Amino acid sequence: METLYYIVLVPMVYLAFAVFIFGTMGRLVKIFMAPANPVTLQIFPEKRPGWLWALHDTFLFPTVRKHKPILWVALMLFHICFALLLIGHIELIREFALFQVVSHEIFLGRGFIGLILSICILYFLFRRFVSPVRELSVPEDYYLLILLFLTVLFGSEMDWARNWYGYDIMSVEAYREYLSGLFSLQPEIPYEITDSGHSFMLVLHVFFANLFLMFFPFSQIMHSFLSLPMNKLRRG
Amino acid sequence: MDMKTRDILLELFQSKLNQAMKFYLETCTRCGVCVEACHVYASMGQVRYIAAYRHEIVRRIYKKYFKARGKVWPSVGESKELSEMALEELYEAAYSCTGCRRCMVYCPFGVDTQMLMSIAKLLLIGAKAEPEILSMLADTSIEKGKSLDILKDGFLTGVKRLESEVVKKWQMESGKTVIPVDKEGADLLYVALAGAHSIIPAAAVFNAAGENWTLSFFEAVNFGAFVGDPTKTKLILDRIVNEANRLKVKEVCICECGTAYRVMKQMEDSQPFSVSSLTEVHARYIREGRIKLDKSKVSGTVTYHDPCQIARNGGIIDEPRYILSHLTDNFNELIKDPVMNYCCGGGGGLVALGEETLDFRMKSARVKAEQVKATGANILSTACENCHTQLSDLNNHYKLGVDVRYLSSMVADALVQEEIETQ
Repeated sequence: METLYYIVLVPMVYLAFAVFIFGTMGRLVKIFMAPANPVTLQIFPEKRPGWLWALHDTFLFPTVRKHKPILWVALMLFHICFALLLIGHIELIREFALFQVVSHEIFLGRGFIGLILSICILYFLFRRFVSPVRELSVPEDYYLLILLFLTVLFGSEMDWARNWYGYDIMSVEAYREYLSGLFSLQPEIPYEITDSGHSFMLVLHVFFANLFLMFFPFSQIMHSFLSLPMNKLRRG
Repeated sequence: MDMKTRDILLELFQSKLNQAMKFYLETCTRCGVCVEACHVYASMGQVRYIAAYRHEIVRRIYKKYFKARGKVWPSVGESKELSEMALEELYEAAYSCTGCRRCMVYCPFGVDTQMLMSIAKLLLIGAKAEPEILSMLADTSIEKGKSLDILKDGFLTGVKRLESEVVKKWQMESGKTVIPVDKEGADLLYVALAGAHSIIPAAAVFNAAGENWTLSFFEAVNFGAFVGDPTKTKLILDRIVNEANRLKVKEVCICECGTAYRVMKQMEDSQPFSVSSLTEVHARYIREGRIKLDKSKVSGTVTYHDPCQIARNGGIIDEPRYILSHLTDNFNELIKDPVMNYCCGGGGGLVALGEETLDFRMKSARVKAEQVKATGANILSTACENCHTQLSDLNNHYKLGVDVRYLSSMVADALVQEEIETQ
């Protein structure tokens, strides 16, 4: 069991990040090296400056707000919460004064961010079971949502345990020791992390996150990088 | 399908993979926001007409042959082999899409369905499975460019015959050419369609505005663009570009034809002349006081159908409304936001395919007919030949009881002759 834990928590994480970083970079380079379309693909009426409106379209999803308002609320919550969780994870490597401008305990939102995220993912998943989105979906869409849901669920459970049930054996300090070790290429797994009753949550969280990261560069999640240039094309 | 054909088709596919196309092929999240965008889906309710579904038909082939996972894990994206059946699906997707790009306004990323369908159309050409009529029409246009000298006399005689009609709309001083052709040093080259209706009103307005213009030998319509053949599209365009450069005109004015305008406009930057639509030019004449219009010539309520390639895809949105404000005080919009206007249902070559597509065109444009009905207008104006034909068909089929008019001919019919002469 210990070996399995180790494999997931150390070598697999390195592998996942390697695939994620090199895969994403490789794919982006390949896409951006392709010649530009010879003619404009703009939609009118035009608004200037185009780049500013492209940013607006990329981050505020105005077309979704207009046509599918409920989906828009879920999408906004999902993406904002996702960004907040990313910040939370960066803070688990070490303390950053920048993020503490708004003073908070590590992992903003006292567990609710993870909860909102889980609900949003379930909503995204369940709406794919209903026609006509069902007919549009391919297995990839389900796999990604399920992977994300499992990752978020097990990750959040650790947060919920600390926040809501006062379970403090797996502390921020222990995570920091683990993550900063990984980050500085001197991996070290503290005892609290592998030997507490909640260790399985961390291992599963990391396992599913690894899978997600490895799938990322080859999936539709590349929209996170391509949305802006695409919206720029539409804005001209 | 034999290996050799498949390889040829995949090479054609590869030739379309520029940066924008890769964006469009990689990015769709199948979120379903585009569901209601397509007029065909809105009218017929079948899932295969949803924009994302059409994309996926092309994308599945892309996943199979152009992504590693097509070999490693084909089922994850339901990648699909390029087969005879796949070609049938591509045909169905491409020739039920009018390329109106309304879905692009729904998509959070702006995936361009017309672009993706251009892959389908090119593959169909490669497999010789495209609608033959369109290819033949494109070839005829190209032939005409090559054998201009033989056809020249016939054309000039034809044009001569139209002159009396033009003069009925706008009288000219004797001795002046009513329809100048091949005039070097003209300011404006007007590219019409093969048909008197596209030449007479335009000529009357040019003459009324005192324009130094000349009529092109060629028709504006680009069947190469309809059938999705980049080589033929370019050859057809080149005829006009060469003529414009030979006559040293400053401006090329495209008649009321959406595709012709958009295709020509897109190459403006690389040419010494500017490209404008007839609607733009008419709006300019009114603004500059070069023509005056009589509102009493138009009776009843008027509405205007924005041709997709001219409005949403070409940016000519305010000009027709400006013209109409000089033609009538009784104008009702078809839709509050013109960018959201439904396609007439005849674009992408469907009207050019004539009777063959009539049944589908009528069924798929039900929402358009309802839109027209809701305005309560009795004149439905538009600025595109394709739209005009389709809207007239809809008018008959759904008994809309409207008078479908070209905006340009409304302008020509309302010209005020006296006031101009006194100036």
